[in-house]
Amino acid sequence: MATETNIPTGNAVATEGASLCWSCNAALAGNAHFCPNCGKVQPSTPIDYFEFFSLGAAPARKLDIDLPALEREFYRLSRKLHPDVFARASTREQQWSLEKSSQLNDAYRTLKDPIARTQYLLELEGVKLEEQSSAATLVARTSGEEKKQVVPPELLEEVFELNMQLQEMRMNKEMGEDDPAIVSDLQNAKSRFETMLDDLTSELKSYWNEWDATISAPGSSESDRIRVRDKLVDLLNRRSYIRNLVRDVNQALAG
Amino acid sequence: MAYSNKVIDHYNNPRNVGTLDKASSEVGTGLVGAPECGDVMRLQIKVNPETQIIEDAKFKTFGCGSAIASSSLATEWIKGKNVEDALAIKNTDIVKELALPPVKIHCSVLAEDAIRAAIGDWKKKQSASQAAPVTAEAK
Ligand code: FES
Ligand SMILES: [Zn+2]
Repeated sequence: MATETNIPTGNAVATEGASLCWSCNAALAGNAHFCPNCGKVQPSTPIDYFEFFSLGAAPARKLDIDLPALEREFYRLSRKLHPDVFARASTREQQWSLEKSSQLNDAYRTLKDPIARTQYLLELEGVKLEEQSSAATLVARTSGEEKKQVVPPELLEEVFELNMQLQEMRMNKEMGEDDPAIVSDLQNAKSRFETMLDDLTSELKSYWNEWDATISAPGSSESDRIRVRDKLVDLLNRRSYIRNLVRDVNQALAG
Repeated sequence: MAYSNKVIDHYNNPRNVGTLDKASSEVGTGLVGAPECGDVMRLQIKVNPETQIIEDAKFKTFGCGSAIASSSLATEWIKGKNVEDALAIKNTDIVKELALPPVKIHCSVLAEDAIRAAIGDWKKKQSASQAAPVTAEAK
């Protein structure tokens, strides 16, 4: 829209993460959504989800976050950013509030889920989860060495075995029309897989604490950081296999 | 997700599903996984010790349609090849043949990994048996 080209985005010179309110020139914290002085919505900026919720900026983003507080903040901001509130505001304020609403929803959805939050953090840390495996294949292809699997071979064996058992149970169920013995086999498998998944979740939480401690420890080095980061990566990789088992057993029970 | 006809064909009629005797010295087993999605694939080969030709190949895949099609195709391709030629198969060949979209590339990577792992396992068995002192030169 040609009439909007003179938007004073971020208006004033931002000094060290701080900026000035576009409307009243009051000083603002870097990620303030509203001016504390005049209450106007501020231009939306491309900030990460942790920063959006003031949960620490790079490189000190914490993983173990207070969920009830996050939820309260989400509802508070949802109300303040609701389109009805901006019905009479200027076009650009409407625009900013819309953009912020959508950031808010994305940020909340990602951060409230432990796995999505961890994945997101790793992404911000520069880990490309989807590319690890193909990168390792490339190394194997050129060196002629065996490819390093990103999860331990014992886990693959176990997962493969469990998949075999599950498939057999599923086939029996299809033929045996709800034989109670098969259903109870499946239910046992289900609770076993769910326990495995729960264990991984508690393990994940212990790594969150390790991560949070590492990033805030005064003497911690880059290699400490990478060590904890890689533990998180490793855990998410292992978890995808177990998650599939839970999904498949549930499907078998429902089907 | 729209699958190509070739994928659907392999998916509906997978070739060479099954198991070979893991303990046999002529059999190599590769078990690999895709951490991206948590799918697992096992591919086995039976190699003629004289000719180094892959005489049989079987697979079992717990995964998506593209992974099943990729492994099915892989077994078809490697059967009758000698191990060195089988090692030359790249995931991009599979992508091309099955017209896999970018999000399904990792499924073809899984199949390449499985071939490599199976051949690697077989080679390990060979060198282990060669290390055994009593084997006479077979000619
Ligand atoms: S989606 Fe993972 S192997 Fe295809
Ligand atoms: Zn203001």
